[in-house]
Amino acid sequence: MKTTLMRLIGRLLIVSMLALPFQTVQAGMIGTDQVASSATAQAQRATLARTIDRPDVASQLQALGVDANAAKERVAAMTDAEVQSLANNLSTMPAGANSTAWGWAIVIALVIWAWYSYK
Amino acid sequence: MISRSRASVRRAAGVTGVCRLAGVFLALLLLSGCSMMLPQTTALQDSKPQQLPDLAKLDVPFVPQDENMCGPAALKMALAGAKVDATLDELKRQVFLPGRQGSLQAEMLAAPRRHGLVSYQLAPRLEDVLREVAAGTPVIVLQDYGVWPVSVWHYAVVIGYDYARHEVILHSGLKAGMRMPIAVLEYLWKQSDYWAMVAEPPQRVPATASEGAYVDAVAAVERTGDLAAARAAYGAALERWPGDVKASVGLANALHGLGDLKGAEAALRPAVERHPDSAILLNNLAQTLSDLNRNAEALTVIDRATALGGDFADAVQDTRRHIQERLRAAAAR
Repeated sequence: MKTTLMRLIGRLLIVSMLALPFQTVQAGMIGTDQVASSATAQAQRATLARTIDRPDVASQLQALGVDANAAKERVAAMTDAEVQSLANNLSTMPAGANSTAWGWAIVIALVIWAWYSYK
Repeated sequence: MISRSRASVRRAAGVTGVCRLAGVFLALLLLSGCSMMLPQTTALQDSKPQQLPDLAKLDVPFVPQDENMCGPAALKMALAGAKVDATLDELKRQVFLPGRQGSLQAEMLAAPRRHGLVSYQLAPRLEDVLREVAAGTPVIVLQDYGVWPVSVWHYAVVIGYDYARHEVILHSGLKAGMRMPIAVLEYLWKQSDYWAMVAEPPQRVPATASEGAYVDAVAAVERTGDLAAARAAYGAALERWPGDVKASVGLANALHGLGDLKGAEAALRPAVERHPDSAILLNNLAQTLSDLNRNAEALTVIDRATALGGDFADAVQDTRRHIQERLRAAAAR
């Protein structure tokens, strides 16, 4: 019992020793996203001013039928601006699906055709 | 005579009937002076863009779409163009939204990053689509097959064009290598505000990429944690635009994150020389030197950043304190 506990503590210590230097290495570096690029300086600032709520967008994806893990992974691959664009717009944004609406194109083309022929 | 009409029938079967009808419709619009309807097609026909090849056709294997699955199918073809093999099931899981029975643009851009590629949204220009294809990159375009007020969104992949015949070649839905008049493409494409994207390997900057937008696209890859891809792409960006501060910061951060501190220093040095008034570059160089246990050197660099002040004064202050602590700890030892 005691040895199991000791072993566990030992493992935890090893893990924390491995993890800590990595974190201190990363600390202090200013992130790339902090550099305003020439193209998007203003848009970026506008985005940063609002709060980016990734978990919220992930749960909105879930509500539209994506499973929890997949939703989290999908949001993780997006930029702040992309997450922002999705938030609360999921049900209205263009969703590419099919090109089977040929009927419409034909009807309109015929109407225009007829209109021009009888003019 | 008979054989000639047969040939034309065969050709008509290739160009779908709808395409022809839509083409007639568009030709009428153009004839009646409505060049406002399709400004890009008109401009493209008026003068050929410089150094644009007459013809291009890419050898991209066709992936027919399942019901409502044009997003994953288009991505699979774009990824194949970048020599990445992904399964349709995997891509469905990454972009298909069951509640909408389709795929959203933001997700189409996000997915290639999960396969080590850089997604780049093209400028909304027909010419840029042709230039990318001419450079060997298939282009995904978002089209609207609906008629106001109904929108029927669809992703197709442009794989070629024939400038003299004013045609583009697309893999679309169930049709491989479909030829479509450029005017029809513009008509269908316009509703998405000319939305188009490419997915490129990190070593390759898209032919039509603009500096800021491309570096942002690479920062998006870095954000996902794929530091090896980010390193390669920032490197490629710096080859094209050696003076870009954000790409230098990004390259150094990616190298730093990968544990290559010497590499990070080597990336930051020339950038600092070029932009001596960038507090971010100075701060990150100081931090990198400190992490290399060269704290005295780091202190002189961070002092330069302190003198600049500005938006990052707090972060610079923190770095300075940290370096001083390390110097004290070293002295006490």
